[in-house]
Amino acid sequence: MKKLLLPLLLSVVAVAVQAQNSGRITIKGTVVDTAGVALPGATVMLLAPKDSALVNYNRSDEEGQLEFKNIKRGSYILKISYVGYIPEDIPIEPKENEVVDVGSVKLKILNQDLFEVVIKTARAPLSIRGDTVEYNASSFKVPPGSTVEDLLRRLPGMQVEQDGTVRAQGQEVQRVTVDGKRFFGGDVKMATKNLPAEAINKVQVYDSKSEQARLTGVDDGKKEKNLNLELKESHKKGGFGKATVGAGTKDRVEAKVNYNRFNDKQQFAVVGLGNNTNQTGLSWDDYQDFRGSQSYNWGDDGDFGFSNGGGIIFYSGNDDAESLTISAGGRPEQGFTKNWVGGVNYNYDNKKTLFSTNYYFNQTDKMQDAFSSRESILAASSFRREDANSRNNLNANHRGGVRLEQKIDSLNTLVIISNARFGSGNSRYVSDQEFYRSNASGDLTQLATESDLDNTSLFNSFSMGNTALFRHKFKTKGRNFSASVGYNINNSDGESNQRSTNVFYNENEPDSTLRINQTNETNSLRTQLKASLLYIQPFAKHYFWETFYNFSLRQDEVNREVFDVNIDNNTFIPNNQLSRYYTNNFLYNRLGTSFRYSNKGLNVSLGAAALQFDLQGDFKNSKLSSTLTRIDRQFSFITPNGNVRYDLKNNRNLNLSYSMSVNEPNIRDLQPIVDNSNPLYITEGNPNLIPESSHNVNAGYQYFNSASFTQFFGNIYYNYRVNQVVYNQQVDENLVTRSRPVNITGGSNTGLYLNYGFPLKKTKATLNLNGSLNANKNLIYVNDILNRTNSNGYRFATNLSLTPSDKFTFYLNGNWSVTNTKYSVNTSQNQQIYNNSYGAEMNVKFPAEIYFSSRFNLNTYVNDRFGFNRAQPILNMSLYKIMLKSKKGEVRLSAYDVFNQNQGIRQFASQNFVTTEQVSTLARYFMLSFTYNMRGVTGSVRRRGYF
Amino acid sequence: MKQILAFLFFFLTVPAIGQESEGIITYEQVIHWSSIYAKLDFLSQEEKDRIKLTWGNDDEGRKTKMKLFFTPSQSKYTYESDQSVSDDGRYSWQNDEYLIFRDFDREKKIELIEMLGKTYLIEDSLKTPKWKVMNKIKDINGHVCMLAMAEDTIKKLKVEAWFAHDLPIPVGPGQYFGLPGAILELDMNDGDVLITATNIEMKPVGEAIELPRKMKGKKINNDQYDKMIWEHMRDSMVMHRSPYWSMPY
Repeated sequence: MKKLLLPLLLSVVAVAVQAQNSGRITIKGTVVDTAGVALPGATVMLLAPKDSALVNYNRSDEEGQLEFKNIKRGSYILKISYVGYIPEDIPIEPKENEVVDVGSVKLKILNQDLFEVVIKTARAPLSIRGDTVEYNASSFKVPPGSTVEDLLRRLPGMQVEQDGTVRAQGQEVQRVTVDGKRFFGGDVKMATKNLPAEAINKVQVYDSKSEQARLTGVDDGKKEKNLNLELKESHKKGGFGKATVGAGTKDRVEAKVNYNRFNDKQQFAVVGLGNNTNQTGLSWDDYQDFRGSQSYNWGDDGDFGFSNGGGIIFYSGNDDAESLTISAGGRPEQGFTKNWVGGVNYNYDNKKTLFSTNYYFNQTDKMQDAFSSRESILAASSFRREDANSRNNLNANHRGGVRLEQKIDSLNTLVIISNARFGSGNSRYVSDQEFYRSNASGDLTQLATESDLDNTSLFNSFSMGNTALFRHKFKTKGRNFSASVGYNINNSDGESNQRSTNVFYNENEPDSTLRINQTNETNSLRTQLKASLLYIQPFAKHYFWETFYNFSLRQDEVNREVFDVNIDNNTFIPNNQLSRYYTNNFLYNRLGTSFRYSNKGLNVSLGAAALQFDLQGDFKNSKLSSTLTRIDRQFSFITPNGNVRYDLKNNRNLNLSYSMSVNEPNIRDLQPIVDNSNPLYITEGNPNLIPESSHNVNAGYQYFNSASFTQFFGNIYYNYRVNQVVYNQQVDENLVTRSRPVNITGGSNTGLYLNYGFPLKKTKATLNLNGSLNANKNLIYVNDILNRTNSNGYRFATNLSLTPSDKFTFYLNGNWSVTNTKYSVNTSQNQQIYNNSYGAEMNVKFPAEIYFSSRFNLNTYVNDRFGFNRAQPILNMSLYKIMLKSKKGEVRLSAYDVFNQNQGIRQFASQNFVTTEQVSTLARYFMLSFTYNMRGVTGSVRRRGYF
Repeated sequence: MKQILAFLFFFLTVPAIGQESEGIITYEQVIHWSSIYAKLDFLSQEEKDRIKLTWGNDDEGRKTKMKLFFTPSQSKYTYESDQSVSDDGRYSWQNDEYLIFRDFDREKKIELIEMLGKTYLIEDSLKTPKWKVMNKIKDINGHVCMLAMAEDTIKKLKVEAWFAHDLPIPVGPGQYFGLPGAILELDMNDGDVLITATNIEMKPVGEAIELPRKMKGKKINNDQYDKMIWEHMRDSMVMHRSPYWSMPY
């Protein structure tokens, strides 16, 4: 009874309210088709006339009747819509009566062509505004290279006649506009025959007043068909580019230019730079502008499996001269350099094919004077070497590359990469070295040896890397197969001259002099064939089994011919002790497997690999010599590998990893040949060397809150080295060092890194604190006594960023580090090295687009035991103004190193030595430069960061 | 007898009617980062071009499956799974908390959203977006849909929603609902984020629509939520960072 009463009561109240309030109306009517048949369940909406805002909605009932009760009095649009019919808009203008009856509303059937083609097949949105239709051009497929005319032929309701006349809904199109603007005087055919179809985003057909009405302002009632072509965003863009030129004091000049053209499929870029201000290559920004979508490609080396297995890496390190690909982001060079760069890049990308090719040239001509002092610690004593040297290096490289990535179908992908480099260069090294031993009072002032060196060399090299990669995904999700093959080649020819005069001073014997004048030619050819396989099989929910195999066969052929030069009669005498010819094959096989578990952010992987090295080498003193020595060594290892990564809630991450890496001995270190080309440092190989390995453990935790701008990172690591190859030293009374590689176990490196950053005042002031500890244990035999060098480093740094407004920013930083080095053989040599730096940066924006920025750094280097104490204040400033229309120009006045203090300073201790080095480097200069940027220059007082 | 028949009829048809308007819609959400970055006004045109050039052709990195459960009076929108898995299935990560529950009869909502470094529980009344209905129709997954537009004035987003005529329930993904039909596609800011229905199943949803028993989060209301988002948008612009690093789009 209660249940019945309540609705009854409510309706009575509602009726009462309605009766009292004549400000309310009721709208009713019937929805039917053109034949008068009721349409039940049609969507009926009440919209506000001014902005089509939705006020209320409903459905028509079984009899097609619609009703809105108790609606606030006012104007509305009644919108009725039904699947397969053209939506109908009916204006509602209530008069005095409380019920507005729109009668029966007839819905017209939507043109079947339009409905089937546009809506069902093309899945394109269709605009209906009276007779206006809008087509989404990208939904209609036309062959590449088609014109707009070809596109129009495919649009329902459009016809293109033989002579190019365009008809829309039977009526001739009078004018064509592109993005609402008239195209070549509005000639329809000119636009439709010349514009490429792929440039079009939307085609809109609408009626407008006739030309006559437009001109006279008197509407003659005639309507014309208009066609508007809306261009794609990507086709609106032309090119963009940037050029900078600058000239300064001390004959400093710099120029840089880059230009890009791109659309959604193709990217074309050129880059060039030249300077004598120590900027050797491209910055990361320049690199990205140059390489575009091909800036970063991961996994192109095709080496599957655990990342640190050793043996398979062909090119060592990321040294620019060694690398086949373009490197970027380098720091300014020391010394004085002249640099040139030029390159062209082209990328073609579509969903199936990614193609890229580039050419890149770089050249650096470097001059550098340096002074270094190095103290070597022996069991009971030490000695010092002072070296004043001057270098001149010229290096030039031409690089070319092609990369093709083809998606064969949704399951198969093929990648082919080929990169090549031609390099050439020459160098000269002139040095004056003096060796001091301790005198009676224990100071290192007694001159023992003096050596003058003058070495020159020149080289030509060619290297090439080719890789083919194939990836196959199985239909079963998670099952994958990948295979790669690679062939690399590196051929270099070099010639060098080594001249030195060495004088040995002895207390009890007469002084002796040793002169060396040698020339040598070295040809080396290295090839590598490699292949890798990877198979991944899911075997239970969240579990995967991965198997990989790596193969590499590396072959070296090196012929080094050394001659002693007799200056008197200018003859060359072969030096059989130093000449060498060797070939070797280095075979590497690795088979590994691992299990992976991945669920809810917990990713665990555990596995092991078996690897085998097979080193075979033949060497003799010359290519013609019959005495052949052979090295034939095999080594096998099992390397475990494991890692855990746990993705926790609220931007926190935890990771833990263990790996074991193995590296084979260097082939030169295995050859038992004495090399005395440097009479003060004589090296000899050791055929009994075995591979070195290391155990690496790493654990870390990260927290990053980008809302409160708080972050914390912590990391701890430990490396333990087994059979590390170290170069033992025997130092004789003349301070001549003889070095020989041996294996030694027990070296280690342990460390901790912590970083914490947080806002002092949100968006205005941020403080960052970080510190690290490092304990390094190095083992080496010096004069047959085992020396343990323990270096403990402590570092603390802090940054304060003050960013009160868009007109002023201030940054402060301090960095304190101390390294305690202890030598077990000679504790009196224990020492502390302090490297500290303090910095302040200020950026100000003035009115009229004028900006000022300055940066001051004070670096201090102290080693009390070594008597080394340097403080280096460096101040850089620049004032610039953004100018020209659309802010396209910038003129800048810069002052580098106002106090004229710049030089490269370095000090560090390792094994049994401590060294300091000072390199004369480009110091104070002023420069005036001008930049033109087609995209406009943006000045900002804020440091660039990630965004 | 008639009464029994009527009773039987009633008994048989009521569940049938219920079934008509109960079901699950699966959506795929794609985020286009280069498009989002292209609209951040603190970036220079040069930086935007660089991002587009480098990443523009390859920015569909994050496709996420979402599910919308609905009955005539309630809806629940959340991740299909509480973890996301990389394409090859070898790597997974936890999804941020995101659950939007609406009760249309009681005009109440409960939202569990992990954002700005915390998990929030927003309980308040329903706030229907201000829709404008446009004259555009298109087909989504076999359903003819009509275009409606709205604006997020706090996040400054232009929202285009395509709602189906033949699914007469006012539900939709994310923060959007209140149209004469279910929203099958949501396009935010001209393709920054696109949420499209990939599967529509009409069936009784049963307990699946119920809220999880454990819902931990800091309780806030609509106004507090709006204020937090507004402040975060403002701070992010000042700090030159994308605001969407720490909140759902």
